[in-house]
Amino acid sequence: MERNLSLLVSTSPHLHAGDQVATAMKDVIIALMPVTLVACYFFKFNVPFLIMVCILTAMFTEVLFRRLMQKEPQLSDCSAILTGLLVALSFSAATPWWLAAAATFIAVGFAKEFLGGLGWNRFNPALFGRVSVIVFAPWLTYLNNEFFYWRVSFPGIDTITQATPLTMLQMGLPLPNMGTFFIATQGGGIAESSAFALLLGGAYLLYRKHITWHIPVSMMATVFIGTALLGQHPVYHLLSGGLLLGAFYMATDWVTSPITKKGQIIFGVCIGIIVVIFRVLLAPTEGVAFAILIMNAFVPLIDRLTKRLKFGEQKEQVISQHTVPAGTKMTVKN
Amino acid sequence: MVKTFERGISIPDYKELTENMPIQDLPQPSELIIPLRQHIGAPNRRLVSVGERVKAGQIIGDSDASVSAPVHAGLSGIVREIGSRLTQTGQLEDCVVIEVDPEQEELTCTADDATKLNKDEIVQRIRAAGIVGMGGAGFPTHIKIKPQTKVEYLILNGCECEPYLTCDHRLMLEYADEMIAGARILSHLLDDAKVIFGIEVNKQDAIDLVRAKLEKEERMEVVPLDVKYPQGAEKQLIYAAVGRSVPPGKLPAEVGVVVQNVATAKAVADAVIYRKPLTERIVTLTGSAAVQPGNYRVVIGTTLAHLLESTGGLKQDVAKIIMGGPMTGWAQKNLEAPIIKGCGGVIALTRDQAVAAQEYYACVRCGKCVDHCPMALYPSYIGMYAELGRYDLAQEWGAKDCFECGICAYVCPSHRPLIEFIRQSKRA
Repeated sequence: MERNLSLLVSTSPHLHAGDQVATAMKDVIIALMPVTLVACYFFKFNVPFLIMVCILTAMFTEVLFRRLMQKEPQLSDCSAILTGLLVALSFSAATPWWLAAAATFIAVGFAKEFLGGLGWNRFNPALFGRVSVIVFAPWLTYLNNEFFYWRVSFPGIDTITQATPLTMLQMGLPLPNMGTFFIATQGGGIAESSAFALLLGGAYLLYRKHITWHIPVSMMATVFIGTALLGQHPVYHLLSGGLLLGAFYMATDWVTSPITKKGQIIFGVCIGIIVVIFRVLLAPTEGVAFAILIMNAFVPLIDRLTKRLKFGEQKEQVISQHTVPAGTKMTVKN
Repeated sequence: MVKTFERGISIPDYKELTENMPIQDLPQPSELIIPLRQHIGAPNRRLVSVGERVKAGQIIGDSDASVSAPVHAGLSGIVREIGSRLTQTGQLEDCVVIEVDPEQEELTCTADDATKLNKDEIVQRIRAAGIVGMGGAGFPTHIKIKPQTKVEYLILNGCECEPYLTCDHRLMLEYADEMIAGARILSHLLDDAKVIFGIEVNKQDAIDLVRAKLEKEERMEVVPLDVKYPQGAEKQLIYAAVGRSVPPGKLPAEVGVVVQNVATAKAVADAVIYRKPLTERIVTLTGSAAVQPGNYRVVIGTTLAHLLESTGGLKQDVAKIIMGGPMTGWAQKNLEAPIIKGCGGVIALTRDQAVAAQEYYACVRCGKCVDHCPMALYPSYIGMYAELGRYDLAQEWGAKDCFECGICAYVCPSHRPLIEFIRQSKRA
């Protein structure tokens, strides 16, 4: 037998389940398609245009930052595309493209690549980018002047001048019919077009096992109970604003959520509480985004606090690990 | 409702290639390369010298240390060389190389009345036969059956949870009587501990057969177990079969349990009843690149090259050869390594089936490794800290309690070499 075979040598295990990061990213993109299509129906060509701007910006930013940091671009993991899409969906269709591009640039460039790339980021990049343009709005106004003559607008924008359901709720205006509201509504962000479409995508992610129920359910249940206790309409709160987008697509982000199920429930409940505080007591906009970002910061702490016992480990043992067993002799070396 | 442990994962088992293939003899090899150490414990010193003639069954290496097991020549011949040779783990070990006589004397072992032996004599026979755990760990059996604490259960491990392997399955079917006799001897040594055969339900024929044979036994039973990896890991098996948890750093005997592989039990019966040393074992040759997959009786020391040559060789597009199971075994760079007491399988894979070491990415904290870790550790954190050189933190997240089942790396979507990171953290 020929003895000079060329054989692959690698360490165990020699099998792999076949999961890829890119598969998960692509599945999230697929899950966001229903809501994107509903939004396209409402706002026409404005939606694909904004999405295209954000995705191209995201890809360009990733390549730029990775080149600057002397790393190979990693576009094939699809995370840049997903971040671009998520940023676009968090804006309203009337948003000037340069503002969305700036948010994407911050999201991919600073919130992700600057911190070491996918996996090392502590904050959800899309939300970080989205919130940055709100926080830095005073400095960004000059962009509006600079780019005013470069504005792009397609038919279909006029429909979004009306108040969003959440502001109607705040202002005590009569609310739209619950059924229509659930299936599809115009107003607010692109991703707020259809609660039903978001849930459909969420169900797909659950089915594909990329997310589990722990974060979305604990987050939504907390908002539901919290707003009900404060005398608001819990169902409208659940279906409006960025809550569903946040619960199924943002808070469940692998990198920026706790690693154990117990931690994820704590995380979801805390986000829910902060959302209620924002929505009922503070400014009516982007409560979900701020709530998730705030809790992102606590993820390492939650992981440590919820650290489970090893197999067969008893609680007392954990304590005794840090004490010196009786009879231990101390040796001093010179 | 079949019993099992917490977490773990189900893996396609690929056992259909060989599970119905009866055990066959391999043509006699012309050379044996016998590592002097095939157990966990003190190394053996050689008892033969170059040029010496050895008989089949002769002890060629032994040690005075208590945690050790002798090794024997499986066939008669002349010692040609004693020196470092490549073994399955990729490390060099002192080996005795024997040029095998083409004409072998028929070795006849006759049963003698083992019931007259006292416990010490039985243990002595087990040690003299060089029996070690045949599931892969290689811990000397005569030590394991003399625990300091009272043992209530002896669990016979017939899980064979590693994909591809079917050697234990065939052994249970074809040597059920010997295995049960061995279990009876081991139970006797453990002051009549209750015997439980833990068998995964993908081996229903073995469950049925062993159950039928145990019908009249009061202190022996079969416990069918779920098909889940790593069901055959000692602590997981104990939890599944008797519901006891072995604390980190403790031995099973401390919770009143001893686990032995089914092949070990058969070897014990051979040793005690027939005074037959452990010089052969059943090996599953399988995988997409094996020409004649099957279960073969192989003399310890037979090289991979001989095993493959005498079974039709390898398919053209062979890309990887693994000794042991696919989850915990070792990839071979050539065909020089010999079969040892703990090696249950040789898996030859074609390019499309072989996982190559590939580029890996940062941890994306998907949590799959954490969800499936049978020891409830945090491979994700261990890997991340090992990458940063913070082995102290890697140990804080459980590196030292890992028994390297391989699930974390198996599920990782970033293809991180987590087992390698864990090994680094343990060494640090």
